[in-house]
This record gives sequence, structure tokens and C-alpha cells, in this order.
Amino acid sequence: MKKTLYIFTNGQFHRKDNTIYFETEQGEKRFIPVEDTGEIMIFGEVDINKRFLEFLSQKEIILHYFSHYGYYMGSFYPREHLNSGYMILRQAEHYIDENKRLSIARLLVEGAGKNILRVLKYYKARDKKVDNSIVTIETLLGTIATCNDIPSLMAIEGNMREAYYKAFDEIIELPDFIFENRTRRPPKNYLNTLISFGNSLLYTICLGEIYRTHLDPRIGFLHTTNFRRFTLNLDIAEIFKPLIVDRVIFSLLGRKMITTDDFERGSEGILMKDRAKRCFIEQMEEKLKTTIKHREIGRAVSYRRLIRLELYKLEKHLMGEKVYEPFIATW
Amino acid sequence: MFVILVYDVNVKRVAKVLKTCRRYLHWVQNSVLEGDITEANLKKLKVELMKIIDKEEDSIIIYILRTTKYSARQIVGLNKGGENLFI
Repeated sequence: MKKTLYIFTNGQFHRKDNTIYFETEQGEKRFIPVEDTGEIMIFGEVDINKRFLEFLSQKEIILHYFSHYGYYMGSFYPREHLNSGYMILRQAEHYIDENKRLSIARLLVEGAGKNILRVLKYYKARDKKVDNSIVTIETLLGTIATCNDIPSLMAIEGNMREAYYKAFDEIIELPDFIFENRTRRPPKNYLNTLISFGNSLLYTICLGEIYRTHLDPRIGFLHTTNFRRFTLNLDIAEIFKPLIVDRVIFSLLGRKMITTDDFERGSEGILMKDRAKRCFIEQMEEKLKTTIKHREIGRAVSYRRLIRLELYKLEKHLMGEKVYEPFIATW
Repeated sequence: MFVILVYDVNVKRVAKVLKTCRRYLHWVQNSVLEGDITEANLKKLKVELMKIIDKEEDSIIIYILRTTKYSARQIVGLNKGGENLFI
């Protein structure tokens, strides 16, 4: 699978010898094999020219950029190379038809909820007191079927998350990283900063995978399609957040790889320092690379691949070939 | 799969060979590149290289490792290049 490139240093990107060339401010030069690059994530200050963007488009490489504060700012989403009017129509059809949209959205919420339970049950087995959250989420899961509109479905999803995040303090057991409540834009404590950072990374990764399918990232099902942003990646990310992002956070904190020294207080809330971002990304990449034995396919599949498979299942659902079933972890 | 590519070609063609290889693999040292590559891309790379080199005079060796699990990489002295996903 093609690699993701992360840029933290300041410098310039060029197209040189038909490949990617990066020169840092300090004058360090480096060639990066294009054929092995899938995405580029930019955290530093980087100069780019049109020639380079043209080249990325030709090679179907997405470029994501993050602000000075580490927040996702946008993507250079090259021309669609997998164009399918048919798929867009199917997607739109399933979005416009309230019932069809609801059935997909329900499955997405159900998948997210079940994966959350999977994480909590793991910690329950390790004698953490997470019973309350488990009970709440299980009852909420039961109400999905009776839910008849998207806003109330979103509410269930929100309540599930709330109950889930309540269990975080119990799981992490670090007084420095208490959860309190979910705050975003800007996150108001360390744990919220980690969650936000991890989630936005996952959103971009999902977007990258969507780009490699015929689906259109602008039409989501659980998240309302609007004029502002991509939404399908948010939908898909819901299912994988507990499995990927939250587990990475637990292991980062459990192994003390990130401590309170890795943060600084800025006007934009609490921010992670570069070292912490790198550390987080490295662990996340590690996670995405690990493979599991897929029950249906019968062979080893990486987490990143699982995201793509999820999209393929969605495509099949939209085409009316096979009803979508969200991926639910069994471990 | 993971490959290590080494080449020994006439100076007239080194630049061309290097440029071609750099699109697929990470430069490690003079005349040595390595990295993950798909089977299809390896084929493509080989075809491109064949067009450049003189089969009577130049030599390219590609070591193919299905997995790097049983291999280790040690560097003595300078670390000149290699794979790095973080810059």
C-alpha cells in the first residue's frame, strides 16, 4: 500500500526528475518516490508551485494541510480519477430518499456503538469500572431501530459518545488527563486535544480512501450534506474512531509516551507540541499498518484496508447488490 | 515486497538510471536504492531500466525480499539516506 508522507519541517516542494523533491529551509535535499506515495500531510510551512500540484494530480496524490495550530485546514483534492456518474446518482438517491438514508445512517450508528462497546468490554475484563457506560450504550443501541429521523439518530450517537467518554477517566487513570466534558474548537484540556487531533487525522485518512473509490466524499448519510465540507469521510470515521483513534490514545497515555509537557497553551486552546504530534502519528501509522485476519476474506487485512473495504461494502449497498453491514471488531 | 537495488552502469547512464529508480525507491547510497514496491511497479521499473542500460556493459541487481521480518538493517558510519515518512 502506498505510503503517507508527513512534513513537519519548513521547506519547498518541487517536481524534479519526475518525482517529488523536498528541500528544507536548512538546505537538506531529499527525493521521495512518487510511485510509493499515496498522500501528503503538511504540518510545517511549505512552498508549493502549480507545477507540483499538477504533478500530484497526475499521480493521484492527495495533499492535506494543517494550520499552524495543527488543525485540519483543507485538502488539495485532485481531479477525480475514478469518475462515475452512476455512483453519484446512486449516492444521491440514497440521500434524498429519507428511508434509504435512514437505513444507512442507522447502520453507521449501530456500527459505531458496537465498536465502542467492544473497547469498553475489553477494559471491563481488565477490572475497570465501566459498567455504567456499557449499560447506557446498550440501551441506546436498542433505541436505534425505533428512531425515525436523522436528528434523533444523531442525538443517540451523541449520547453514546458522551457515555463512552465518561468511561475514559476510569480507563486512563491519570489525573492530568481527566476528560470533564467534550470541548472542541478549541479543545479545553489535554485529553480533548488528543481526541480532536486523532479524529481529524482519521477524517483525512478516510477521505484519502474515499478518493480511491468511486464514491463522492461530499454526500454523507449520517452527517448532513452541506455546502461546506466533505461528509462521507465523517460517516465512515465514526465506525473506526473507537478502534483506531481511541485505542492509540490509550496506549500513548498508558505508556507515558505523551505527557503534560507535550502541550502548550495558546490563543487557540491547548495545543500539542510537534514532538507529541509526531509521536501520535507514528503510533497511528503503526496501528493502520497492523493486520488482522478478516473473517469473510480469510486473509490478513490492515486497518487501513478495512476502511477501504467498508467503502466497497457501501458501494455494493448503493448499487443494491448487498445490504451494508458495518464492520464490528471482535477483539 | 521489499527490494534492494544496486547498479553498476557506465557513467554516461548513471544519472538516467538514478532518476528512474528514485521514482520508485528510496535512495540509500551511491548506486543503492531500497524500498517497498508492488509487483507491477517492479515490472514497470525493470522495463524502464532495460530501455536505458546497455545490456553488454551495465549491470543491475535487484534483491527481492518478500518480507523484511527476518532481516535487520545496520548502518556503520554515516546514514546517507533511506526511507523516512517524517520530514
